[in-house]
Amino acid sequence: MGYTFHTSEDQRIMLEAVGANSLDDLIEQIPPEIRLQRPLDLPPARGELELTQHLENLARKNIGAGSAVCFLGGGSYDHFVPAVVDALASRGEFYTSYTPYQPEVSQGNLQVMFEYQTLICQLTGMDVSNASLYDGGTAAVEAVLLSMSVTKRSRKVVTVASVHPEYRQVIGTYFAHLDAELVTVPATAGVVSLEDLAAAVDDQTACVLLQQPNFFGCLEQVEAIAKIAHDRGALLVLAVDPVSLGLLKRPGDLGVDVVVAEGQSLGTPMSFGGPYLGIMACREPFLRRMPGRIAGQTVDRRGKRCWVLTLQTREQHIRREKATSNICTNQGLFALRAAIYLTAMGPQGLRETAELCLRKSRYALERVTGGERWKSAFGLPTFKEFVVRDRQCKVREALDEAVRAGILAGLPLGRWYPDLDDCLLVAVTEKRTKDEIDRWSDCLLGRRPTA
Amino acid sequence: MRNVRASQLIFELSKAGRRAAHLPHCDVPCRDVKELIGDEHRADAPPPLPEVAEPEIVRHFTNLSQLNMSVDTHFYPLGSCTMKHNPKRNERLASLPGIIDVHPCQPDATIQGLLQLLFELQVMLGEISGLPAVSLQPAAGAHGELAALMVAAACFRDRGERRTKVLAPDTAHGTNPASARMAGFDTVTVKSTPAGLVDLDDLRAKLDDQIGVFMITNPNTLGIFDGQVAKIAELVHARGGLIYLDGANMNAILGITRPGDFGADMMHYNPHKTFSGPHGGGGPGAGPICVTAALGEYLPVPVVRRDGDRYSLDFDRPRSIGRVRTFFGNVGVLVRAYCYLLTHGAEGLREASALALLNANYLLSRVRHILPVPQGDRCMHEFVASAAALKKERGVSAMDVAKRLLDYGFHSPTVYFPLTVPEAVMIEPTETESKETLDAFAEALFRITEEPADLLHEAPHTTPVSRPDEVQAARRTILKWTPC
Ligand SMILES: Cc1ncc(COP(=O)(O)O)c(C=O)c1O
Repeated sequence: MGYTFHTSEDQRIMLEAVGANSLDDLIEQIPPEIRLQRPLDLPPARGELELTQHLENLARKNIGAGSAVCFLGGGSYDHFVPAVVDALASRGEFYTSYTPYQPEVSQGNLQVMFEYQTLICQLTGMDVSNASLYDGGTAAVEAVLLSMSVTKRSRKVVTVASVHPEYRQVIGTYFAHLDAELVTVPATAGVVSLEDLAAAVDDQTACVLLQQPNFFGCLEQVEAIAKIAHDRGALLVLAVDPVSLGLLKRPGDLGVDVVVAEGQSLGTPMSFGGPYLGIMACREPFLRRMPGRIAGQTVDRRGKRCWVLTLQTREQHIRREKATSNICTNQGLFALRAAIYLTAMGPQGLRETAELCLRKSRYALERVTGGERWKSAFGLPTFKEFVVRDRQCKVREALDEAVRAGILAGLPLGRWYPDLDDCLLVAVTEKRTKDEIDRWSDCLLGRRPTA
Repeated sequence: MRNVRASQLIFELSKAGRRAAHLPHCDVPCRDVKELIGDEHRADAPPPLPEVAEPEIVRHFTNLSQLNMSVDTHFYPLGSCTMKHNPKRNERLASLPGIIDVHPCQPDATIQGLLQLLFELQVMLGEISGLPAVSLQPAAGAHGELAALMVAAACFRDRGERRTKVLAPDTAHGTNPASARMAGFDTVTVKSTPAGLVDLDDLRAKLDDQIGVFMITNPNTLGIFDGQVAKIAELVHARGGLIYLDGANMNAILGITRPGDFGADMMHYNPHKTFSGPHGGGGPGAGPICVTAALGEYLPVPVVRRDGDRYSLDFDRPRSIGRVRTFFGNVGVLVRAYCYLLTHGAEGLREASALALLNANYLLSRVRHILPVPQGDRCMHEFVASAAALKKERGVSAMDVAKRLLDYGFHSPTVYFPLTVPEAVMIEPTETESKETLDAFAEALFRITEEPADLLHEAPHTTPVSRPDEVQAARRTILKWTPC
């Protein structure tokens, strides 16, 4: 039931042209002793209708944000996606094309890449952006590797416990094969202390990796930390929430050297973790150490402005083992989505989105901590996420109860932070209504929902 | 029907005060933002994004899309990339509520359907590869290579061995050596014979106890199945090394032969090639890896497991190399792969591969009279022609031919790869093309070789732009728009 269309007559003519008697003649290059002598053991083929029903049945067994109220965050968020994003990104001319190796017939994609790079620079205040990496975690690794290469310090990187635990795990995985050490400074108060950080950074440190707002939703002292890093010749890599930049100071204005981000917030559905968008932008001097595709402006042979893939001598297909990274296929379609999203939002829309996140999450925090059971874990300013501590130490039960009420109430932190086993990370996006927040807090407080 | 405004940048269409998105009123107490976030954190003004109304956004991006060639609009025989039809049903099914709106950290009990799907995909990929232990986590082929090489390194470490080198043939894709380096290995290149196979003498000479992994692409990037593969595996295994199969070319062998049966210990798939995931103008992809049962304990976490009729994410794997990315994987791409596999079934997959071979061989039979194909008159799913003679005789390069094909309404083949063939033109038609399309392509190629050289040097002539100055782009880098 595939997508082929030779008639038996076509097939006969083609085989004849090839000088083969049958399709099986074509596999004679493969030695008989390694050919598979049986059919693959796979489920039977299904037509479109049966396949659709099967997938619908599987999908119905999941509770998504469409059917429950979602307060989950930790790097993936239930933000609103305007219809223009889906409508435009689902044009076949965009999503069924390959990497723009032939610029003459890829000006659409190349211009989108160039616009995306510009938008990311506008958003972050950085000098240059690449055209996408896989996701937030791998972008963080690439930024760390870039720092090691730029500073020629390849043995040590300092990070903080308030950076996304999975980003740190990914770096740990890569470092296990590179003979490098990842030093993690605690953030027991919800943010890192400047003294602790200063004590950990030395003249062997390639960079400090920080997150803003951090994994707990709290705000770190980015500018002061940049100074600590720079004083010792290290770079500052900052992982950001792109939506927060509607409101917060831009990393480029705070002394940050490399910005990375999980770009999912910018118009990409949660889709159980991917595909997402790895954002990376940096200062101009590091450009030639950047991983990934980059589009540049030029002119064609008739002098017309146009765009091409540029600085390809950084990349694996030219430099092979000396490339800045092994990345080839990236997340172009999600860079397109982010570009459309940011354009649709504009400065005002992004600011209003960020303000809604801020006000609603603050409202949620105050409501749930208004009762006896929950208290703010850190008592610090937050953006759209916050951590609350259960005085009854029954986080799992509370979450199970909430699921029964159709609410995905938060992420239990014990999985990543054993000492925060009684804590819940809660995200409140612009989509959450007052009514939903009230139901959520009533549920966590064990109250009957208000009608 | 050209729209001149279409080539303007979105920033040039911006005018202060325009907007597309209108956010809802704040239905919770509308506290002053200054009170909630201190001055030290708050920006005075929002970022200077463009200000554009929705109609202009729609027209802008729609017009841009029309400047692209794509599988939906054109024959796209880009070698090594398997640009086959991207089924529309897969797009719809990957976007079903219950799939697209699921958060990556939900409790297992709320995602049983998804976990079942992913578990079944693991099993199917294991069966097709003959390598039963599967990780769906890697984000693309290159990422799969890296993850698998880390698996190998972890295995050597456990064995107490110090193996520092990866071997790869000179025909290998650039990601192979680049991944090897990121996993902490040095790459040693093994020569190919003139017929395009691994040079066994050179391999023997380079095999030593430092060799960790031999990375082989089979069929290789010349479109040839290296029948020595079992022998190669024997040689490498005898020295304690492992075989990695770069699965970019799996579209040639589905149900015909299995990497695990010809000696591979590890491999990746490119579902965005073999299993019809659309390429998205550069991505997304996915890079699931399959390894032998013995290596399974080293795979990245999490993997999906089944106990009776319950599915769960298994994080408790003490020998795992750890995570290689955030969250589970490029699930949207994996769902499309699942749909592709269920659409085809065993027989359909084998047939798709056989027809990919038929299309490639048919096109080869027509093209080799136009451009020589140094590695023979039979191929697997793709073949590599050479414009070297054309270049020598008439000064017409592979690039000239590639560019002129655009005027005929065909996307160019991959050119100048693999590196072992001078003026390489690498053609992969895939099974989802008709005989008429293949004939028209061969015809165009023939006409092009008869055309005056000057015309070809300046090709393409009908596209929105022609021969962008890449040297200038790299020398005077302009990587973003700036207001003048
Ligand atoms: C032979 C070969 N190996 C590896 C890769 C890398 O795969 P990906 O682009 O998915 O990272 C490619 C894709 O371009 C390829 O053609």
